[in-house]
Amino acid sequence: MKNRRKSTLLLVIFAALALCLVALAGALMASGAGIADFTRKNLPPGWGHLFGTDWMGRDMLGRTLAGLSLSIRIGALTALLSGGLSLALGTACAVFGGWVDGCISWIVDLVMGIPHILLIILISVACGRGFWGVTLGVVLSHWTSLARLVREETLQLWQAPYIRMARQLGASQGEVFRKHLAPHLFPQFLTGVILQFPHAILHEASVTFLGFGLSPEQPAIGVILSESMGYLATGRWWLALFPGLSLVLVTALFAGVGERMRLLLAPASAQE
Amino acid sequence: MRKTVFCLLLALSLLVGCRTSPPEETSRDKSAVTIVMPPDSEPEAGFDPVFGWGAGEHAHEPLIQSTLTVTNPDLTIGYDLAASMEASGDGLTWTVRIREEVEFTDGTALTAADVAFTYNAARDACSVTDLTMLDRAEAVDDTTVVFHMTRPFSVWPYTMATLGIVPKDTYDPAVYGANPVGSGRYILKQWDRGQQVILEANSGYYGEQPKMKRVNILFMEESAALLAVQAGRADLAYTSAAYCDRTVDGFSLLSVRTVDNRGVNLPLPEFTADNNIRQAINMGIDRQAMIDNVLNGYGAPAYSVCDNMPWYNPVLAEVEFDRERAGALLDEAGWLPGEDGIREMWSFGRAELTIHYPAGDFLRQALAAELSNQLRELGIQADPKGVDWETIYGEAWRTPTIWGWGAHTPMDMYGIYHSGNMYGYSNSALDAWMDEALACTDLELSYTLWQKAQEEIAKDTLFVWLVNVDHLYWVRDGLHVAEQKLHPHGHGWSIVNNVDQWSWK
Repeated sequence: MKNRRKSTLLLVIFAALALCLVALAGALMASGAGIADFTRKNLPPGWGHLFGTDWMGRDMLGRTLAGLSLSIRIGALTALLSGGLSLALGTACAVFGGWVDGCISWIVDLVMGIPHILLIILISVACGRGFWGVTLGVVLSHWTSLARLVREETLQLWQAPYIRMARQLGASQGEVFRKHLAPHLFPQFLTGVILQFPHAILHEASVTFLGFGLSPEQPAIGVILSESMGYLATGRWWLALFPGLSLVLVTALFAGVGERMRLLLAPASAQE
Repeated sequence: MRKTVFCLLLALSLLVGCRTSPPEETSRDKSAVTIVMPPDSEPEAGFDPVFGWGAGEHAHEPLIQSTLTVTNPDLTIGYDLAASMEASGDGLTWTVRIREEVEFTDGTALTAADVAFTYNAARDACSVTDLTMLDRAEAVDDTTVVFHMTRPFSVWPYTMATLGIVPKDTYDPAVYGANPVGSGRYILKQWDRGQQVILEANSGYYGEQPKMKRVNILFMEESAALLAVQAGRADLAYTSAAYCDRTVDGFSLLSVRTVDNRGVNLPLPEFTADNNIRQAINMGIDRQAMIDNVLNGYGAPAYSVCDNMPWYNPVLAEVEFDRERAGALLDEAGWLPGEDGIREMWSFGRAELTIHYPAGDFLRQALAAELSNQLRELGIQADPKGVDWETIYGEAWRTPTIWGWGAHTPMDMYGIYHSGNMYGYSNSALDAWMDEALACTDLELSYTLWQKAQEEIAKDTLFVWLVNVDHLYWVRDGLHVAEQKLHPHGHGWSIVNNVDQWSWK
């Protein structure tokens, strides 16, 4: 159906643009967003400050954008890293089999057996928190499900008649991978990676919210939300509402794009 | 549709419900009061003085137990259990006579043996009460106790003001914390861990009977405390400058002066190694602006760790705020503004600092931000950074940190400035005055020696003291809170030091 292709393409372009814009604007505003100006503290949302200001007179729009930008960058980095990790380990399982498969599968089971948030907190604290603590925490806890998917997919393909034929005809492993495996794996892998984004962003925000992630002077959504908790009772609703909504929007955007891509790329539904 | 309307109405009624004023009290118990404190005020080890109840960084009167001495409203020393005290000429023994006919709430008499037992037990427990200078306590007869010291310690009466006396015969460390027996103004009636403490007046108390017969203490987070006040469920609740722009019907804001100071250390290995630069920063800070901006006006400028204590030397407050002179001093020291306004010296680089504050402490975060803004005016770049306490203590020698001190004993000052401190600071003249003050046997005289020490501090700046933070409370109209002595660091139990003298109009 043409419609889905078109609308998906539009959505993807729109989402990509929006996210790039947020990431860029946030990165540009990051240095100014943390500056306290006590002459304008606790202002409700208005024309000068669309999202209001906090108890230190920091502009909440700037902080929110900077926070989202940081989240998106962490999300991109973690999605790429954990995607690469799962691709490498997943195919290694399928191709080498034997004890390699057993070993990696055991690690996958182990990591999946621990609740994500707990594992991220442990890794983040062990790595000294901050940007790299959170990034490593999310990467090391999020590669498993994709790795398992890649492994099963590859295993199945490895036994497919045309691939066995190709190998018997003398094609090298690299050639088989490049010519026959990659085109099949790619759609699954791409959607998997895109769907990692919202996970990564939400986990980054929640770990930071709980105080085990980014440090409080960094403009992160988790920091903003945990700070705002103390001020809800005093009626400063804007401190939590707008940053929270923006986070939901960004996550929803990523999730929507991932879902559409899956429908479009997956052979079973691509022709619907 | 009907469902939506119903939901809207429900939500509206909830909103309206929030706005209604607290229910009119029908018959208030005029001898009871309900107080809200922060959750960390709840003593983890229970109400056991041997394990730190009443003592430590947030010292206050133990209420359930009596102490030998007390601090007067002007922070000089008065007597509680003690009838007299005397130090020997070498300062190595303290002889304290205690009053007779004092009884624990279990009916047994409080004798010198109980006092000696308490001090020896607290020394062995090594809790937050520093008793390293005590060799042993000895009961000479029923009313005389002698403290044998390992070194002269003139401020011993201030230590005696924090340690409550427990009964020797029935004391069991395993159960005492939850079931304390003392001779103080109150007895512990009930303790629901994580929620509340109920104190009741001790009818056998040897002093004046408490006017407040029942004191309920609730432990809540700050925002919950505000909600409790709005709902009329508390008579007095702690709050902070961030919340004080609200008004609550039937309550007014009580602001108590304190020695609960905040200050920043200037590290010796950085460009602040030069005392002229440290002095320039000290005079280039606008403390009043800091109070107005960060504390909404609820604070006082701080110039030392012990402002307005009997051992305080006002010479430290002779720091006029003068940004131009500060700038001139920095110019003289060779640090000239670069292109972006930040000062530079070619052999050292830029005038840059990181300011640490404990992550999660909003007040210190805001102070760090304000300090950073003011330092920028001086041409110094300072970046606030929230870290954990481990990092703070580990790097205090090279990273400025927003500290909070302020205690009812000069030992605070000793710990910060005497050689062996965590800032790597050492000043032999200052050490000499403080050692002499500790060795002195006359408490009055020791005050003047502590003041001499502060003259040295005025000459050589290690800390820039910023503000004394007022302690703020919501107080129900009609409740008369007795006059408070300057609160020390810690926004918890200090307010109830004299709850026995509070009254309802």
